Amino acid sequence: MEDYKFLFKIVLVGNAGVGKTCLVRRFTQGLFPPGQGATIGVDFMIKTVEVEGEKIKLQIWDTAGQERFRSITQSYYRSAHALILVYDISCQPTFDCLPDWLREIQEYANSKVLKILVGNKTDRDDREIPTQIGEEFAKQHDMYFLETSAKEAENVERLFYEIAAELIGQARSKDGSSSAAAAAAQRQSEGSSIGLGSFSAKAAQSNCCGGLASGGSNSSQGG
Amino acid sequence: MALIRCCFEPPELPEFFDSFVQKCTDPSCCCGCCSALRPRYKRLVDNIFPVNPEDGLVKSNMEKLTFYSLSSPDKLDRIGEYLYQKATKDINRKRYKLAEIAMEAMDLLLQACHAQTTLNLFVESFLRMVQKLLEDSNPNLKIMATNSFVKFANINEDTPSYHRRYDFFISKFSSMCHSDAASMRDSLRLAGIKGLQGVIRKTVSDDLVENIWEAEHMEKIVPSLLFNMQFCVNVMFVKKNLLASGDLTPVEDATNVTPPALAEEVLRELVGRASFGHIRSVLKPLLTHLDRHELWVPNTFAIHTFRIVMISIQPQYSYTVVETLMQHLDNNFKSSPKTRTSLAVVLSKIIAIAAGESVGPSALDIINNLLTHLRTSVSTTSEITPEESQYQEALINALGEFANHHPDYQKIEIMLFIMNTVPDLSKKSKGDQMLQNILLKSLLKVGTQYSTVSFEKAFPASFLQPLLKMARAPHNPTRMVVMQILQALLDRHQNEQVLSSVSVKPYPALSQEPPSRSDIIFTHKYGANIMQALIDSMALSDRVDALTSSFNTAALLIVEMSCNETVQEFLLFILGIQQVACTVDTLGNVHKCSLHAISIGLLVLISRVSGINNLLEYAQKIVDARREEASHFLPPLLEPKKLAGKTFNLQLPHLAIDKLALGECLQNAGMDAQRLNTGAPYSLNQTDHPGHRHSWVESVSNQLTQRNSSADLTVYNGDVDSVSSSPGVCKKLLAPEFNFDAMKRALAEPTEAAKREQRERQMQIVRTFREGEFDDLMRRTEPKHDLIQNRLNELFNSLAVERQITQSDTKSSQLQASNEKPIYETNFPELFYY
Repeated sequence: MEDYKFLFKIVLVGNAGVGKTCLVRRFTQGLFPPGQGATIGVDFMIKTVEVEGEKIKLQIWDTAGQERFRSITQSYYRSAHALILVYDISCQPTFDCLPDWLREIQEYANSKVLKILVGNKTDRDDREIPTQIGEEFAKQHDMYFLETSAKEAENVERLFYEIAAELIGQARSKDGSSSAAAAAAQRQSEGSSIGLGSFSAKAAQSNCCGGLASGGSNSSQGG
Repeated sequence: MALIRCCFEPPELPEFFDSFVQKCTDPSCCCGCCSALRPRYKRLVDNIFPVNPEDGLVKSNMEKLTFYSLSSPDKLDRIGEYLYQKATKDINRKRYKLAEIAMEAMDLLLQACHAQTTLNLFVESFLRMVQKLLEDSNPNLKIMATNSFVKFANINEDTPSYHRRYDFFISKFSSMCHSDAASMRDSLRLAGIKGLQGVIRKTVSDDLVENIWEAEHMEKIVPSLLFNMQFCVNVMFVKKNLLASGDLTPVEDATNVTPPALAEEVLRELVGRASFGHIRSVLKPLLTHLDRHELWVPNTFAIHTFRIVMISIQPQYSYTVVETLMQHLDNNFKSSPKTRTSLAVVLSKIIAIAAGESVGPSALDIINNLLTHLRTSVSTTSEITPEESQYQEALINALGEFANHHPDYQKIEIMLFIMNTVPDLSKKSKGDQMLQNILLKSLLKVGTQYSTVSFEKAFPASFLQPLLKMARAPHNPTRMVVMQILQALLDRHQNEQVLSSVSVKPYPALSQEPPSRSDIIFTHKYGANIMQALIDSMALSDRVDALTSSFNTAALLIVEMSCNETVQEFLLFILGIQQVACTVDTLGNVHKCSLHAISIGLLVLISRVSGINNLLEYAQKIVDARREEASHFLPPLLEPKKLAGKTFNLQLPHLAIDKLALGECLQNAGMDAQRLNTGAPYSLNQTDHPGHRHSWVESVSNQLTQRNSSADLTVYNGDVDSVSSSPGVCKKLLAPEFNFDAMKRALAEPTEAAKREQRERQMQIVRTFREGEFDDLMRRTEPKHDLIQNRLNELFNSLAVERQITQSDTKSSQLQASNEKPIYETNFPELFYY
């Protein structure tokens, strides 16, 4: 039998130097590569995780942010289940380019692709993009939002686990299972009632103490 | 029993004892003890794995497994599935050697069982295994998996494979093509290229599987190949890319094949397999890649790539490449002139290959596209920058390259087409003027490729008339381009350089050939129009370069067309140039002097090429006289700016070329001078010459009459010959008939031959008597009669036995009597012999 239940393709996009490759390396290999050079073309990593009792295989395609590789990287959007759009919170231009990236995604990706906005490098002191600005941008464009630090491993695993959980929900609702459909309906209801695409807000709804503590920590950080 | 034996066997070493105990407690030990319960295929699979992974595949057990697979095909898919499961566990536990052994076993089974009907199910496991190895970060596993995939791609499956997808493989192999791993970069890139080659081979030959030509796949494959090719063509780009990737020390691959070479090979294969609908699928990502990586300036790589495409493509589709490239030029009309120039240069490099495949409308379609780009370039730029000028030059070169590979009759069509797009002289805006100039330059580019054989073909009327109109353009550069066009089409013997400056020297280096009949007719029809245009153009400017250009054209015309039938017209032309200088008061003094110099130069030239010594002496006399009294009437031409204020003596009638003197020279040389004596010299702004044309028509008709007379004479001579030859033949045939010796030889010949001779002679005699006159018959009868009489006398006297046959009954009976005697005589000697 197969060693996984679901296979999901995740593609990372964003300007060169925002930390896409470091995020992937931290998640798949548990390390932060020092002196990482620019990615050429497309890089591939794979990791199998267990989410909600199911084995999930994540195919992660890490794309080059340089303009000259755009034609090949765009071809990877088409079959992606989730697109992670990364910017550097300490570099204003990487945030200013987000509308261009969204236009590309709209042109080349599946219309139903899951979109996640990630502000990386929260370990730096020279922040230029406040968290609230990122949240508002994500809300406007119907994206999930999360801030991470690949160097400090902050929110990296959470990012991919949340994506996997969301994709499982979509897959189950597609399967037509009644219980899965009910769960999906509940999630959609929660999303619409809250009116936010933030993982932290979603996590705050959880009943477990760990979730509450994590939510509290994020709130204080945000403030 | 086995269990008991295992437990109670004494250990030799403590470590061995511990492992032994562990094995006893392991469930697999129980399975081993109860081996009868496990399926046979699983036991066979387990047995190919050695105890020590470094030992590699157990060969003998692999042979058993292979034999089992061949004899039990229905088990093949289960074997594949089981191998895949084992490899998955081994990879998860990072036991890479065992995974490699599993992959190797898969390869061997695939090769041995590729003809099995159950192969499809096994291939599913095989490909899942390949994907499993490719997914790992271990580079060795990836390379091994790629090699396995290539083996699979090279197998011809007997049964079609439905619903098999290669998305992951294309994505993964494309990613590997861009590998930047520190230690094994080239090996991984090479594996990626090989993998893509395998996918291409597997999919293009099978219509039932995934369509590789879709944009999603082409946009991965083509950039991956081109990215690797870049490292070979241009050292600058190698450095640029290496700096970008942060790796300054490329790793040398152990094998001979390098990623650039293999990438190029795969691109050739891909392009070669593309059909009409798929060519654009390849070209679109190719052009996008060149744009993104800024490979148009410089364009070394672009030229190299497109050459590969043109060489590899199926010939009937090469037109599509040119079309797509020109479309790309359309899309880049806002790009920098340098980029557009590079695009146009690439176009000119490859357009020659496509020209061989273009026929009819498609050829003119390409020409029209190029001209449209030229028009756009002229209309969108108020001032010509050097870069924009280079771009236009590149377009003109592309047009010339394209025309160069067409047959000459199609070049004429192309020139006609271009001429029709040139704005009319009535449009005088600066933009139109520039457009006229640039389009005429395009026409000149085609004209230089044309090899003129017949002027009638080189200058169709619909082409010549607008061209001669442009020869009167007020814009000097435009007019000079027209002159160059005329020179290119008139010069059949490479004399243009010899005649590039006005001179009165004897031109020893001229290459010459008498004009053909069709050329003479062409001169009679259109020569006057050409010469009229030349005079008009000479009057339009006093610049040395413009006048020299017009002289060059006139000189070439004279050299190519000069003969006894055309020399008078050319002399009127020369006199016309002189007359313009003498009578048109609006011309400057320097301009008039130049026209005089040109007229004497042309007179010397026509004297030389026509071989009329009287004319040459006369011309030389004028040259000598002018050298003494009026050197400003001789070449080289005077510069107007330097001599603007100087005055010249222009009233020197005794130094002018005299029409009457020219007529006398022709008459003294035995030539007709009527046209020269009665005709008027050319003058300015005459649009047609009905009088001249009528006169020439009369001349032509007269010559035709003479030709007819000559033909009649020839026919008469032929008749005389044919009539006279027949009697000669008859005489010769009959002469030997009545020779005594001949008759004697005929009688001496054997009987059969004699009979044949007799028959022939009878036939001839009958023919002679039928055809001959009575007197002839009488003359012929007498000698015959005498001969027969003598013969009879001789026969009687000598009593010799011989036979004779004649037409006369009386003589025949006498001959018969003689024949009887010979019989007796013959019988008598026989009696004696016996």
